Amino acid sequence: MIKIFVIDNGGQWTHREWRTLKYLDIETKIIPNTTPVKEILNEKVNGLVLSGGSPRIGLEGNLGNCAELLDKAEIPIIGICAGHQFIARHYGGKVEPSIIPEFGKVELIIIKNDMLFCDVPEKTIIWGSHNDEVTKIPNHFIHLAKSGNCEFQIIKHNDKPLYGLQFHPEVEHTEYGIQFFKNFIKLCESN
Amino acid sequence: MFNSEQFIEETTKKLRQEIKGKTLIAFSGGVDSTVCASLVNKAIGNNLIAVNVDTGYMRKNEPASIKKLMEDMKLNYRFIDASDIFFKALKGVFDPEEKRKIIGEKFIRIFENVAKDEKIEYLVQGTIAPDWIESGDEFRDTIKSHHNVGGLPEDMTLKLIEPLRDLYKDEVRKLARTLNLIVSEKQPFPGPGLAIRILGEATKERTEIVREACNIVEKEIENAAKNNEMDLPWQYFAVLLPTKSVGVQGDKRAYGFVIAIRAVQSIDAMTCAFSKIPPEIIEKISNKITNNLGNKINRVVYDITNKPPGTVEWE
Repeated sequence: MIKIFVIDNGGQWTHREWRTLKYLDIETKIIPNTTPVKEILNEKVNGLVLSGGSPRIGLEGNLGNCAELLDKAEIPIIGICAGHQFIARHYGGKVEPSIIPEFGKVELIIIKNDMLFCDVPEKTIIWGSHNDEVTKIPNHFIHLAKSGNCEFQIIKHNDKPLYGLQFHPEVEHTEYGIQFFKNFIKLCESN
Repeated sequence: MFNSEQFIEETTKKLRQEIKGKTLIAFSGGVDSTVCASLVNKAIGNNLIAVNVDTGYMRKNEPASIKKLMEDMKLNYRFIDASDIFFKALKGVFDPEEKRKIIGEKFIRIFENVAKDEKIEYLVQGTIAPDWIESGDEFRDTIKSHHNVGGLPEDMTLKLIEPLRDLYKDEVRKLARTLNLIVSEKQPFPGPGLAIRILGEATKERTEIVREACNIVEKEIENAAKNNEMDLPWQYFAVLLPTKSVGVQGDKRAYGFVIAIRAVQSIDAMTCAFSKIPPEIIEKISNKITNNLGNKINRVVYDITNKPPGTVEWE
């Protein structure tokens, strides 16, 4: 059985990420971002979700041990909202307050094909909730999707299965949310 | 997927081991606490005492229907009319968080009194995931203090048992259906009740207004859904905005409060879309509210905010 843990950065929808994985028959649990990295890796997880966070931590917070996790874990990782922003910052990108923040319904436009988009149409409805966003992606990262008011909705590391999503695939109102998770699980299986 | 049979079996087994002696349950007659009561009743039978508190901020005819529900479920119950206590405690209180915390505390004090009389040390609550998520903790921001989590006083002595903590409303409804409970499809109603459907001070007089408006919204929407004119929303109600606007009623200047109609679609309350109610039905509701509450309400608006950025209730 595939094992994917949710690293809790204090988001409103952390528990929804856990529920979505559970419904897809994944062995999962929520663990605080302060959990020692060694302890997490000892559990032989196949993938990680870095959850969204409490207000503004994506902009400048430390997100517990997430930095060490990114450096040491050699498994697929998906960062959501604050998790995505942290990934961008960690690898040398830039996060700033959004000029126009997004709350609720947004249209996602995929600009580059990827395994994460298997069975997801080019344009779909997603739900977001963020005051900050990635404004410059790190070197060695690819830009995969955007929305009207947020350029870097999805980014990916050039040669690692490491993704950042500004929106929330775990909430009910994101049209292909479950499909994004299914595709991520496939990545974890094949890694 | 969620397996309700398995959940019921595992949970009743766990409850049987966990609870020694008698326990109270905070019983509101909603889906969550009714499912909880049914599970705990399965586990420990008559050692469970259901306590229902009439806060005064209940919907029309609600106390009577909850009493009947407790009787139909053959629960060992206590019904406590505490409306005076709640109205008094909320006098002059305007801040929504303060309101929620006062209500949460009053509930616990009432439960503690019953527990003392009957020598009980456990309190079962129908807390579900959004309650503790939105109440905040060392990791999470407080969106609103749910009375049963963020509203609990620090010095409470009752030991909490919350069997539904990791579930969302859609999963609790599945349990209710498996348990054959008639409340399975009942719309959510927050513990603080109408007190948080009145922005600002929740006086007795304003409660009467919003109670009537909520009743009209519920009746009209339920009728329309029954006649296949629309889908039944996840939650639908009225909010009283104690701010005045000018109108004309019977050739006479009017200067009354505003009622906002709120109806949303969701499965788990963590994200919600406002319901697209047909305009004819909104019009019917609007007419009824301004006719029935003529001297108090002369304007009705419809809330078109999703969650996020709004929440379902206004406070």
